[in-house]
Amino acid sequence: MSEKTPLLQVKNLKQYFKVSNNYTVRAVDGVTFDIYPGETYGLVGESGSGKSTIGRSIIRLYNPTEGQIIFDGTDISGKLDKKATAALRTQMQMIFQDPMACLNPRKKVGEIIGEGLDIHHLYANRKERQDKIDRILAKVGLAPEHADRYPHQFSGGQRQRVGIARALIMNPKLIIADECISALDVSIQAQVVNLMKDIQEETGTAYLFIAHDLSMVKYISDRIGVLHLGHLLETGTTEEIFAHPVHPYTRSLLSAIPSPNPVVEKSRVAESYDYATSGLDYNAGSLHQLEGTHQVWGTDEDVARWLAK
Amino acid sequence: MEREKVLTVRDLSITFTTTAGPVHAIRGVNLDLYRGETLAIVGESGSGKSVTVKAAMGILAKNGKVDSGTIEYTYHHDDGTPETVDILKMKKKDIRRHINGKRIAMIFQDPMTSLDPTMTIGKQIMEGMIWHYKTPKEEAYKKAVSLLKEVGITDAEARMGNYPHQLSGGMRQRVVIAIALACDPELLICDEPTTALDVTIQAKILELIQRIQKERRISVIYITHDLGVVAKVADFVNVMYAGRIVETGTINEIYYEPAHPYTWGLLSAMPDLDTNDHRLYTIPGSPPNLLHPVTGDAFAPRNIYALKIDDRAEPPMFKITDTHYAATWLLDPRAPKVEMPAELKARIQRMKKEAK
Repeated sequence: MSEKTPLLQVKNLKQYFKVSNNYTVRAVDGVTFDIYPGETYGLVGESGSGKSTIGRSIIRLYNPTEGQIIFDGTDISGKLDKKATAALRTQMQMIFQDPMACLNPRKKVGEIIGEGLDIHHLYANRKERQDKIDRILAKVGLAPEHADRYPHQFSGGQRQRVGIARALIMNPKLIIADECISALDVSIQAQVVNLMKDIQEETGTAYLFIAHDLSMVKYISDRIGVLHLGHLLETGTTEEIFAHPVHPYTRSLLSAIPSPNPVVEKSRVAESYDYATSGLDYNAGSLHQLEGTHQVWGTDEDVARWLAK
Repeated sequence: MEREKVLTVRDLSITFTTTAGPVHAIRGVNLDLYRGETLAIVGESGSGKSVTVKAAMGILAKNGKVDSGTIEYTYHHDDGTPETVDILKMKKKDIRRHINGKRIAMIFQDPMTSLDPTMTIGKQIMEGMIWHYKTPKEEAYKKAVSLLKEVGITDAEARMGNYPHQLSGGMRQRVVIAIALACDPELLICDEPTTALDVTIQAKILELIQRIQKERRISVIYITHDLGVVAKVADFVNVMYAGRIVETGTINEIYYEPAHPYTWGLLSAMPDLDTNDHRLYTIPGSPPNLLHPVTGDAFAPRNIYALKIDDRAEPPMFKITDTHYAATWLLDPRAPKVEMPAELKARIQRMKKEAK
C-alpha cells in the first residue's frame, strides 16, 4: 500500500469557526489522514466531533483555517482558480444525509441528476445527456421513467439512490458520503450500502464514509479513523481497529454497539468514557505508530498505559 | 406470580383520509402488556408502529379514524382501586385529564422538537405535576430537582433554569425522560427514544430507562427499528409489517427461533460484527403502499418463500408455542417445509453459543 500514491492527503487540517471576538469553535483541530484510490475510509465519531466539518472542508464548502488538502496531486486548500474549481467540482462529489432535504423539490429527478452535466457542458447533444442519465439511473437500480418524477414521489431509499446517481454521473474519483444512510430504515440501509459497494467495484471510486454507526462502517470501510472533539484519535485498517482498539474512546464506541443477541445484550454494560473526567488532554500528545497502519494519538505515557492493558 | 394486565389492544384498525384516498395504516392489531414488563414493537417506517401507540394515547392525527377495535387500559386510582377503561371510547378532554402524562407518558424521538424552546427545563418538568396533581410549587420544584438527579444530570439545581438549547442531545433526552416520569406514570411509551442520539449516548439512555423501570416497576413499550436496541431492553417482541403484527413472542423466541420470513430478513440485515461477509443481506423491494388495499399476504411480493396462497388469502396467526405466534402460511400443516436461510441459521447457532 505504501507504494501507491494517495488520492487525497489531509495534513494537519484545522477548521475554526469564529463565533465572536473572544470565542472560536475549534471544530477540527489538526487532523491528518490519507485516502488511496478505490478504497473506503470511514470516519466515525459522535455528533459534534467534527466529522461532517472535515468532509465539508475537503470539498471546499468551507475555507480551511490551516493545513493542507492535496487531492490528486494538487493542493486545494488555498484559493482556487477557475480551472482547479472546475476539476474539484467534477472529481469530488458529495452524498448528503437527508435525501429529502438535499433534492430540489421543484425539479424532476432527471434534471437534478443532469444538472452537473449542464453546468460543466459534458455532453454534445440532448440525446447523449439523456443516455447518460438513463445509464446512471439503471446503475443505481432505478428505471428510466423515474427521471420524469419529482423527489416527493420516491421513498427514502429511492431518494438516496437519486442522491448517489447525482454524485456518480460526474464520474468522480472521490465521493464524500456524509451520514448517507443514517436517515434510512435498517433494511434499506443494507440495500444502499450494498449498492455503494457494487459501484465501487465497478468504477473504482474512493469513498470518504462519514457515519456514527460503527457496525455499518465496518461493513463498508477498508480503513477507519476515529474522531472526537475535532481530534483524530485512532486510525488503522478496519481489522486493526475492531480487533485491537487502543484508545479508551474507541473502546467505548465499540462497546456501545448493540448486538442482536438478547441473552448477551441484556447483561452487557457499555464502557463509559468522558473526556472531562478522563484526565486526557488531546492537545498534548502525538501520533504513535503501532503495528501496520495502526496509529493512535496520545502522550507517550498514556499510550504505554493503554497498550499494557 | 399473577401477571397484571395493563394494556390490551384488540383488533385495532385505523384509516387515514388523505388527498390520495384512504390509507389503511393499521389492519387488525392485537397487543398485550403486563405490569412491569417491556414490550417492543419492531418494524420499518410506515409499518404503523407509532400510529398504534398514538391511538393508545388518544393523540391520533386529525385525519385518522379508528374503524374498529378496543384499547383497554387498566390503571389504579390514587386510593389503589383498579379501573379499566376503553381509551377509544373516552372523550378527548377526559383522556387529557386522566391519562396523558399522568398515567401514560411518552418519550418522543427527537428531544429538540418535543421540548418547548421558550421555557426553562425546570418549568417544563414541573408543568405536568402542577396541572395534574395541583402540587404546590415548592414541592414540585424539589421533585423536579430530584428527578433530574435520578436521570443522571449533574448539577441539577443549576440546570433547572437552563433552556433546552443550552443542553446537548443526550442531556435533552434525559430531561424528556424526567418530564415523562414527573407524574409517576404506570406506562411509559418510548417512540424511537435513541434514534436521534449517538451510539455511546444511546447505550446510556437505554440503561437509564431500564434502571428506572426496575425501580418503579412500570411497564414500557418500545417502538424502534433497531433490533440491537430491542435485544437489550425487551421481554416481548412484536414484529409489525404493513399495519399488522406478523410475529409475536418472547425475546428469545424471536431472536433464536424466528418463524416469519420477514423476521428472518430483519435479523439477517443486521450488520454482524463477527463475520467477514462482504455483502449485507437485504430484503428485496420496499414496503407496500397502504393506499391500495392489500390482498393476501402483504409481505408476499418481497418474500422469496411466498406460496401461491399468499396472493389470495391473508395468513392467520399460527401458534408455535403459548407465547409465540406468526402470521405466515409456511406454518400451515399443508405447507411445504421451509427452513430459515442457512446464513441466519449459522448466525443464530453462534449467538446461542455466545449466550452460554
